[in-house]
Amino acid sequence: CGGGTPTSAEFEKLDAETIYKLGEYELANSRKGADAVTYFSEVERLYPYSEWAKRALIMQAFAYHKDRDYENSRASAQRYIDTYPAEEDAAYAKYLLALSYYDQIDEVGRDQGLTFQALQALRAVIEEYPDSDYARSAILKFDLAFDHLAAKEMEIGRYYLKRNHYTAAINRFRVVVEDYQTTSHTPEALHRLVESYLSLGLTDEAQTAGAILGHNFRSTVWYEDSFRLLTGKGLQPEVKGDGWLAQIYRQMIRGEWM
Amino acid sequence: QSYAFSNVVVEGNQLIDPATVVKVAGIAQGETVSDAALNDAVQRLTASGLFATVELVPSGSTLVIKVTENPTINVISFEGNKRLKDEDLEKVVKSESRRVYSAAQAEADAAAITEAYTQAGRLAARVEPRIINRGSNRVDLVFEIREGRVTEIERLSFTGNRAYSDRRLRQVLETKQAGLLRNIIQRDTYVADRIEFDKQLLTDFYRSRGYIDFQILSVAREFSRERDAFFLTFNVREGLQYKFNRITTVSEYEGVDAAAYADVVRIRSGATYSPVSIDTTISRMEAIALRQGINFMNIEPRITRNERNQTLDVTFALTKGPRVFVERIDIEGNATTLDRVIRRQFKTVEGDPFNPRAIREGAERTRALGYFETADVEARPGTAADQVIVDVNVEEKPTGSLTFGASYSVSDGVGFRIGLSEDNFLGRGQFVSLNLAAGADTRDSSFTFVEPALLGRDLKFRFTGFYSTSENDNSFYSTKRVGMSPSLEFPVSELGRFEVRYKISDDKVYKVSANSSSLLKADEARGSELTSALGYGYRYDTRIGGIDPNRSFSLRFDQDFAGVGGDIQSITSTGLATYQMKAFREEITLRAELEGGAVVTQGGDSRVIDRFSGNGKVRGFEPNGYGPRDLTVPNQDALGGNFFAAARVEAEFPLGLPEEYGITGGLFADIGSVWGLDNTLGGAIDDSMSLRSSIGVSVFWDTVLGPLRFNFSKALQKEDFDQEQNFDLTVSTQF
Amino acid sequence: CTSIYQNHGYVPREDELAKVVVGESTREAVAETVGRPTSTGLLTGAAWYYVGSRFRQYGVRAPEEIEREVVAISFDEAGLVENVERFGLENGRAVVISRRVTDSNVKGLSFLRQLLGNVGNIDASQVLGEN
Repeated sequence: CGGGTPTSAEFEKLDAETIYKLGEYELANSRKGADAVTYFSEVERLYPYSEWAKRALIMQAFAYHKDRDYENSRASAQRYIDTYPAEEDAAYAKYLLALSYYDQIDEVGRDQGLTFQALQALRAVIEEYPDSDYARSAILKFDLAFDHLAAKEMEIGRYYLKRNHYTAAINRFRVVVEDYQTTSHTPEALHRLVESYLSLGLTDEAQTAGAILGHNFRSTVWYEDSFRLLTGKGLQPEVKGDGWLAQIYRQMIRGEWM
Repeated sequence: QSYAFSNVVVEGNQLIDPATVVKVAGIAQGETVSDAALNDAVQRLTASGLFATVELVPSGSTLVIKVTENPTINVISFEGNKRLKDEDLEKVVKSESRRVYSAAQAEADAAAITEAYTQAGRLAARVEPRIINRGSNRVDLVFEIREGRVTEIERLSFTGNRAYSDRRLRQVLETKQAGLLRNIIQRDTYVADRIEFDKQLLTDFYRSRGYIDFQILSVAREFSRERDAFFLTFNVREGLQYKFNRITTVSEYEGVDAAAYADVVRIRSGATYSPVSIDTTISRMEAIALRQGINFMNIEPRITRNERNQTLDVTFALTKGPRVFVERIDIEGNATTLDRVIRRQFKTVEGDPFNPRAIREGAERTRALGYFETADVEARPGTAADQVIVDVNVEEKPTGSLTFGASYSVSDGVGFRIGLSEDNFLGRGQFVSLNLAAGADTRDSSFTFVEPALLGRDLKFRFTGFYSTSENDNSFYSTKRVGMSPSLEFPVSELGRFEVRYKISDDKVYKVSANSSSLLKADEARGSELTSALGYGYRYDTRIGGIDPNRSFSLRFDQDFAGVGGDIQSITSTGLATYQMKAFREEITLRAELEGGAVVTQGGDSRVIDRFSGNGKVRGFEPNGYGPRDLTVPNQDALGGNFFAAARVEAEFPLGLPEEYGITGGLFADIGSVWGLDNTLGGAIDDSMSLRSSIGVSVFWDTVLGPLRFNFSKALQKEDFDQEQNFDLTVSTQF
Repeated sequence: CTSIYQNHGYVPREDELAKVVVGESTREAVAETVGRPTSTGLLTGAAWYYVGSRFRQYGVRAPEEIEREVVAISFDEAGLVENVERFGLENGRAVVISRRVTDSNVKGLSFLRQLLGNVGNIDASQVLGEN
């Protein structure tokens, strides 16, 4: 039954199951989910509160998601969670809700606001359905989103470090060390703290930061850098040799900030 | 007593399947259930709104749940609505198709629709919800609407106003008395919250004219019988009009001397009191505090009133405010823009003392970037009592444009044009613009790149490359310029910036028509010559961190020394001074500009492309419309001049049209001249400085494409060989 | 051309610092008289640091720190003030900052996506051929 979606009059004749199957078929085959959405909403309209209507609602959320229409996907998922709280599919709806925030992060990249919402939605899934496979995938995505936040803090910390605002930089790097220890940015944050404290002349604080770095991340390249800094040997050769021309090329053309 | 049911049966449900009913009831199989639990189940079922009637009948070990379902809404429709469209009404109505129909909700929706009509000024509207049965417990919900006539304000009157007449006060209000154009101008319809807004307008009007005690006692509303007309009366108490008397500034912040702040006060004693002048003085004083690096300064205006002679003494007290620091600056909403591009607009660093004025200046600079639809900055309490978190929420807008063009002309064949410009290249705040014009008449291609913060400093690097030819437009000769120019610009003082630049270009004049001036033929004979010039520019602008929002002064002075290699030795200097002020309660903008320039060549004459033309200096003339000309030949081309000077005065004022049209009017008067040639063919060409002047009217119109400016001008003083142009359309870039 | 000065951070004034008594003042007392620190050490119970610096920007050069005052208030295990030290700019070390950055797998806006995003936007200057 190719061609456009049937008009609403034709839908009246079909029963819930056939419309639902049409929707599923449409979802599986077409690249965008928009047509499938019309099928599923018709099922809901004609046969409200039927078993098919329930499944159609969750499929509608998935179709919107596939169509990258995150707002509507969230709305449908939220409607499912409100109307069928005890349903077994509610876990999937919550997961879909979290996914809609999460997928937007990748696309948007820098916006911190979205990352927070993703984290909250993912944590809700992990806490409510700890042993479901949704939780496992949510945990993985939670760590990645968490890493995004840490990256944001680091980006700002380096901005202030580069402009010799050491205390502002220290406060940002301390946030990473205290709130985001599980992320991949902690070793670098500790090294930056060594750099900042040394620049202020607070050698004992620098020593403490270096010790924490050595204790937890001895094998990282960051520890080597800190070790050299603390023992007064200066940085590794490859990091030296940064004339202002190379700096302009790196910053202006390639956009690498440091 | 209690029961234990082995199974539960549902009767009477048509559309809703039993599993859902049991789940909503919340009674599990085999669970011992007391009477109270049964009653809770009933409550839950009725609360769900799904069922008209609910009854639980325990019979032996089975529980029978007898329900009659509420019908579900199949389709919702509206009849009789002309003013408000279906989509607007759908937003207001809460019942939804596919959901359960509830009589109460339908009534609430009807009331909501009536309220929507009241907002639109139709108080006489009536709405009736009606149901059409569609069988198998499904219904259609129809809202029948009778809109009735618009409720207009027949009479708008005031009581207790001695100082200003009813007519004058009516102009102040947004709401208008129903006049002739009543159905075109919507603002004569009665809308409740517009009245609140009017009260505020009236209060501001009186307060800014010295009536410090002005109060609106009440707003009386009477209704005409047919409910289509209104009589509105504002009952006010004006109080006395006060004037400023002694203005003093005193410093209670030790280590701060009040003198610097005192001489920023512009309020003359004897002027009528107005809260606006107090606010501008405070913002001026805040700017001084920021300049002096003084933290936690709080400026309080203490007003003492002497009733006898109705005057006010104002003391601006500089006091030490609470110690508050900026804990964090959080930037959100920047999808493509890098965080640092916004963060570097704020001079305040995290951990610094919190200075509201510095944050406001940062917010203004962020908005001036032009990358954002909105950029609002708020401070909210931080984790500690003396800490504040600054939230910068931006909403981005498209910052680039990409245009393609193809042209075909018999003489020049096919030509293509690609125009790409991006203000926020890759979110790095860099400006890139590339115009490629390939094809027969390669008119002009150019490439511009600007990095506002080279090496992370406040150091703007600009590079422009150009290949432009002008094929006898407004002239009987053609010119070609190929070259490039890098430049660096950096701040040299609080309000001043300095630019150093190098420019190298290969220019030539060619295709000079036979009967043009021999001067031009001499230029053509010189062929293409290389100009290699070092130059500098100084810009002073009080608007960057200016103290006074209503007055601004900007100065530009540039000099280019050609002769660093290349064939041309000359010094080109130009200067532009602009003074702008807002007058008459900031409604009228007055602008005065003075401009001048000189080209001094050593060894050899200046060519027409090196000299100044009259374009854009005195309005009302064609491009190349005035200036020295060789009158002895048929083609009387304008030859430009080694010197030019011009003065322009402009006023811009609202035309009284509603703001949303975005149209304002303007008057302007220009006077100036272009003169001086190295070679006047033995006196044949009059290159004396004869003044040209013109006056004109302009209309500014803010369109979605950008601010357009229509100029209608009339030349007053001109030479008989000048070519006038009475109409001109330009993009009026606000500098 | 003149140079532009900019102050950052905050260091308490002499008379406020005098109120901090070694061996007696607790953290709350210090916070009360002198205010919260600009930054603190890493471990719990670490010292409090107040840093105030003055930057000068001259011409093309980057703003450089010409004055810095660091006041370090350290505490003993009992939480009483152990020592109040002062540092200046000269105690700081010129540290070469490492350029390596941990990859944050946040893809920025690609050139093509931004280019295609602009198709169709016209602004007035192009229409009127303003250059």
